[in-house]
Amino acid sequence: MATLGNKSDQEIRELLDEYGIKHGPIVNTTRALYEKKLREAMAKNNVTKPSPDKTFYREEQEEVTYVTYRTPVMSAGPSGDGKPYMRSRPEYSERDFVDDKLYSRSRPEYSSRRQYVDEPHVYNTPSSSSYSKPTPVVKSGGGVVEEEKTESSGRLIPLWIQFLVFLIVAGFLYFIFINMESAESSPFNRIQ
Amino acid sequence: MSTTSQKHRDFVAEPMGDKPVTALSGIGEVLGKKLEEQGFDKAFAVLGQYLLLRKDGELFTEWLKDTSGANSRNAASCSQCLREWCDSFL
Repeated sequence: MATLGNKSDQEIRELLDEYGIKHGPIVNTTRALYEKKLREAMAKNNVTKPSPDKTFYREEQEEVTYVTYRTPVMSAGPSGDGKPYMRSRPEYSERDFVDDKLYSRSRPEYSSRRQYVDEPHVYNTPSSSSYSKPTPVVKSGGGVVEEEKTESSGRLIPLWIQFLVFLIVAGFLYFIFINMESAESSPFNRIQ
Repeated sequence: MSTTSQKHRDFVAEPMGDKPVTALSGIGEVLGKKLEEQGFDKAFAVLGQYLLLRKDGELFTEWLKDTSGANSRNAASCSQCLREWCDSFL
């Protein structure tokens, strides 16, 4: 597609309009400039399209870990969905080379499919993990065993600081309690 | 902060007539020679190119950099010079 030198002036003009490049008449002195701009625009289009795919892939990797983690807990549903991800990835990269139209078509299809399937998974896992963690912490007090090291689920104050403050307050109250005078032996003994 | 040079002020003050290309702000000896080699020996030829590019400053600076090897500063200076000249005389 890079044989811009062979195209007629009209075709260059059409290509410039397609890429939305503002231009003047195609004359011998202006033609080289417009060819260069077209090449840049083509290269930019080819470069920007894969990078959103890369972010999809990165997100996809994270989601794949969610899915595989949950397969022991839940049976066929998520694991069945994991496979189409793996399959669609090589299929997607093959389509990349074949045709531009196929490319643009498969991308919204891919992203919409991903959105349909992924978002319930993505939303379920962090919310369930964040709700399940605080209740055992509050009940058991200081000695909480961290069974899974999940990422911080968006707390304003880090968890360890909350533990520390709780321990300090509890210790302080205990200290006061110990140093209270017992009510049985009253200080007002009669001197006998 | 548009501190224009004397050359700029001289150019935009009057119709360019047959002034050489080195009369343009930002175009010195070296750039002038390169432009003359490309066939742009007079200021009005460069003006013609500016007008062909629909007086788009960005396109013109890009063209000037490609054609004469000008740096961004000189190209922008020439572009502004032509723009102001066109505002007054075109």
